[in-house]
Amino acid sequence: MHVLIVEDEVSLANELTHFLKKEHYTCDWAVTGREASEKIAVNRYDFILLDLGLPDYDGLDLLRETKELDHEPAVIILTARGAVEDRVNGLGMGADDYLPKPFSLLELQARMQAIIRRKYNVKSSVMPFHELEIDTSARRVSHKGQEISLTKKEFDLLQYLLLHKNRILTRLQLTEHIWGNILEDDYDSNYIDVHIKNLRKKLSGYLPGDWLETVRGVGYRLTA
Amino acid sequence: MRLRTKITLFSAASKIIILLLFVVLLPPLVQRVALHNTDQRLLNHQDEVIRMIERRGIESFVAGEEAGSFGSYNLLKEEFISIEQIAPREPVYTITNSFRKVENEVVEYRVLSLTFEVDEQMYLMEIGRSLATIRENIRTLQEYIIYFLLAVVLITVFADLAFSKILFRPLELIVRRLQRIGHPGTFKPNTIRSTTDDFIYLNNTINNMMEQIQAAFVKEKEFISNVSHELQTPIAILQTRQENLLSDPETPENMLEKLVDNQKTLHRLKHIVQALLLISKVENEQYLKDEAVDIKILAEEVAEEIQDRAEAREITMHLETEAHWTLPKGNQALLFTMLFNVVNNAIKYNKPGGSITIKGNLLDNRYQLCVTDTGVGIPKEQLSNIFNRFKRLHSPDKESHGLGLAIVQTVAQYHQIKLTVDSTPGVGTTFCFRFPEK
Repeated sequence: MHVLIVEDEVSLANELTHFLKKEHYTCDWAVTGREASEKIAVNRYDFILLDLGLPDYDGLDLLRETKELDHEPAVIILTARGAVEDRVNGLGMGADDYLPKPFSLLELQARMQAIIRRKYNVKSSVMPFHELEIDTSARRVSHKGQEISLTKKEFDLLQYLLLHKNRILTRLQLTEHIWGNILEDDYDSNYIDVHIKNLRKKLSGYLPGDWLETVRGVGYRLTA
Repeated sequence: MRLRTKITLFSAASKIIILLLFVVLLPPLVQRVALHNTDQRLLNHQDEVIRMIERRGIESFVAGEEAGSFGSYNLLKEEFISIEQIAPREPVYTITNSFRKVENEVVEYRVLSLTFEVDEQMYLMEIGRSLATIRENIRTLQEYIIYFLLAVVLITVFADLAFSKILFRPLELIVRRLQRIGHPGTFKPNTIRSTTDDFIYLNNTINNMMEQIQAAFVKEKEFISNVSHELQTPIAILQTRQENLLSDPETPENMLEKLVDNQKTLHRLKHIVQALLLISKVENEQYLKDEAVDIKILAEEVAEEIQDRAEAREITMHLETEAHWTLPKGNQALLFTMLFNVVNNAIKYNKPGGSITIKGNLLDNRYQLCVTDTGVGIPKEQLSNIFNRFKRLHSPDKESHGLGLAIVQTVAQYHQIKLTVDSTPGVGTTFCFRFPEK
């Protein structure tokens, strides 16, 4: 997967590159809109991570340019402006997703995964996990054909853990994924613990005892 | 009260005062004029009689009559004349009011008394005119004058009304235009046609001021947009860097906990910036209000979203919303955030095993949604402070940034929802949203 990061903020671009390389993406980086425009014309990218607030270019113009290419890269808009109009504009003009800054790298990866599944028309939406089958489009978990009933949040949690398997997820990262779109007064890690507890209880008969490791003081790690 | 009404009322009142003054002052005035005329007439009569005496001699008046006197009055006793011989004394020449008995009837007369000498003999002449007729005249005159003045007052009041309506039309246009402005951003400068300089000046000044306010709003919007960009970007860098460190297998384990702490602090910073941004964007009316929001459904969605948190704290939630009620123009996401924060607070400050009731009903044509908890309550002296930004009260945790209720209030105000809080420490708190009448 070839990714172009269009971002004028050096540090952020570095962190993005660092993260995506570890996730086995190939990364290019453009600081200015013009540079990005040239790179898009020459290279074949699968993903463009586009910052709208570029010094020399309106990010939305760049988005328009990608739509004229014969192979259409997926575009995720990353912006600190976060204004409603930007969002509406960006998605209306064919961006595949939109992440307001500041965002979590894990969230970004989840969105990219979802786009890949959609774009490459992955037939099977079922992710196997030990003896469980997790159907991400039907949002069902089953064991040998028998459905295990999970709440919406429990399913989201399981899917997110599975997507980032073998990686420590902090309670905060999980909270942000589950309740990220609600602006509330505070963050309370206890709520995540309750969901994890319920999830463990519901899946305990079907999975090995160590499927979800608690990293003390940090968070959880799903091992597969 | 409207200016036009005031001016009309004032002019009517001043005219009525003048009318009353007339009514009070007119009788003595008319009386004086009438007396003056009467006196003049008496003097004329006197001259006439004296001329007659000179021509015909005093004898023709007094001779033949008993004791040398003469008296005559006309049929209706309006006037009389008498001449009598008197003993010599100081000369008299007066005009006075006096009562005279004529044919067993006492009548008040204006009487001219004059002594004169003919052939060493002194005579007293009296010429009288009844005052009753004068009074009669005065009364009639007064009546007509009152009718006339009343008519004048009525006509001028109506004329004033009509004139002031025309005169104040530009002012009313200006007022109506100002009433239509919900937000300075929607104001459009407009010229008015008027020959009154003051109105043109007023209109121009308003246009000018509004343009300045609009410019300030645009500046503030840009400022917020810039600040948010400037703050969000470094936060984004820190967040991604921390996440990279967290997922780096080379990061020693004792560092992980510190990183998690960092993450929490950064999360708090992020939320404060986002909450402030949300509040100022709402205050700047940068959110659309173009959705019809069913409050019953909204309450159900919030309850469903938050159900797990209530369960985690062993709190039971009761949803008692009556029939559907729709806010015609609102912002669903903002209203959700508003209600979510209040219900979340009700969970956070509740006692274990407590309960929360979300009750919605129509009250006097307005929909009311109340969230009641059985929590710790808020002391009376703190109630007025709870919506203040950064005012944190008895927070059970250290993570709250104290902007939750400020957001609630801002969103409520934006939708013209009246927000009230009632609390009894130790018993519980009730937040009520009273939605505007449709």
